Amino acid sequence: MGINLGARHMTAARTDDDAFQALFTAEYGRVVGIANRVLADPHEAEDVAQEVFIDFHRLHSASADYAPAWLHRAAAHSSLNRLRGARRRQKREFAQAIEEGERTLDPQKQLEMDEDRRRVREALGRMAPKPAAVLVLRAGGLSYAEVAQALGVGISQIGTLLRRAEDTLRKEVTRGTPN
Amino acid sequence: MAHLTDGTLRRMVDDPDAKAGADAAHLDGCAECQARFKTISDDASSIATLLAVPEARVDVGRAFETVMRVPKAQPALGLRLPFLPPRTRPLTLAFVAAVAAAALVVVAFAAGGFFFQPTTVKTVPITVADIQALSQLADYGTVTWTKEPQLQATTSAADAAAIAGGMQPPVVAQLPAGVSTTVTYGGMSEAQATFTFSAAKAAAAAAAKGQTPPTLPAEMDGATLTITVGPAVGEIYGNMNKPTTGSSTDQINLPQLIIAKSASPKVTSTQVTAQQLEDYILAQPGISDQLKNAIKAIGDPSTTLLIPVPIEYATSTPVNVQGVEGVALGDNTGVGSGVVWVKNGSVYVVAGSIKQSDAIDIANNLK
Repeated sequence: MGINLGARHMTAARTDDDAFQALFTAEYGRVVGIANRVLADPHEAEDVAQEVFIDFHRLHSASADYAPAWLHRAAAHSSLNRLRGARRRQKREFAQAIEEGERTLDPQKQLEMDEDRRRVREALGRMAPKPAAVLVLRAGGLSYAEVAQALGVGISQIGTLLRRAEDTLRKEVTRGTPN
Repeated sequence: MAHLTDGTLRRMVDDPDAKAGADAAHLDGCAECQARFKTISDDASSIATLLAVPEARVDVGRAFETVMRVPKAQPALGLRLPFLPPRTRPLTLAFVAAVAAAALVVVAFAAGGFFFQPTTVKTVPITVADIQALSQLADYGTVTWTKEPQLQATTSAADAAAIAGGMQPPVVAQLPAGVSTTVTYGGMSEAQATFTFSAAKAAAAAAAKGQTPPTLPAEMDGATLTITVGPAVGEIYGNMNKPTTGSSTDQINLPQLIIAKSASPKVTSTQVTAQQLEDYILAQPGISDQLKNAIKAIGDPSTTLLIPVPIEYATSTPVNVQGVEGVALGDNTGVGSGVVWVKNGSVYVVAGSIKQSDAIDIANNLK
């Protein structure tokens, strides 16, 4: 995304707004996707995504090379933060969702799904930020290279980080399972 | 050949291309690695199932409009140390809130002698929750500008100096490779704001939220804090953006490199002591133990400028710059860094999308 330096003063504002719109169009879906993996709530995920873009637009150039990586990272961390902060509130909401679930066609299945989803989110919230971010970025559809860029680590480390994070999450979920 | 690492095996699960060459040959002939591959692969797919969610259907066009309705950024001169909570934006936005917190933390340390002027810098780790808690302080009094800041971007160093009452922009000895030589100068006049504590406001704010605030010490009612910042000058390397709306020239985004110098902020107060302020802030509901500890760990509040660093986004290290103690901030993503130090009554900032070593180098060679 090169910018013509000579015409800068006349077109800079336009160019950056255009660049921001292009960035938004290209990345909004993925940023929501990452947040949605964490929050399992499309509306809240959109909230997070919009805050992330507003923050970005405020401080950075949309034509910066690091723009997508910054957005992905911020999406993971903001939504994980929200998850941790909202854990108690979410417990209540999930309890409600379970009640509603009981009225659907296949109550038993719905109940299990909600319960699983709640347990996984709680487990994610208990994990350290970096492994949790690796998991949700990868689950959000990012390639190894994109996950590496978002977290500022070498691409060769992603396999190891991912494996370790999966192991941790599996144990955390098991730990949170009532006997 | 040694057995394959977990990382290599995990990658093979995702990437069929990784199953080529020596690693693949090893896997074919090694029962042990095959068993581990099976475990890792099973774990990966069960985690994928656990993390699966119904797809979020988004309306990108509508979302874009929503985002663009939020007011555009204020000048990013780097030395605008605003202590006023922004009026038009939600405080949940991390950066905006961080800036507000910077000021409030500075305010918190208006020193025992009712006078505060920093001579060194320290960083305080913060979380978004910390900032939101601090922003509630605005509910405990009134903030007014007694001298509005005049901020302007200029094309020459001389013009910037004129706005900043004669303070000359620092000169960079050598720019790192890759940084645009296009430079824009900026100047800011001295600005002053006064915060007046109000017991009545505090009570009303608490009542509105159904919370019990910490008791406002009697002598704090009507106490004032006067904060003076600037004058300040700086230069910004890189492409400048002027907003399409509004005719003011003072809105700047997209710095590749910012060099700034500002007179140290000064805080004077009436009626209250630093200890009272500190106790009061630390007693706010919702402040994390982390911030409490950090604030308590700062040695000499009368001479220390606190820089809040969001925990999730950045790290900081003490550095020696131009013979004085400074702080180097490095984004963990490696996409940005900065150095802040205080020397001879001025705060200096070098920051941008550059390597930390470059930032320190520029700082040391600044004239």
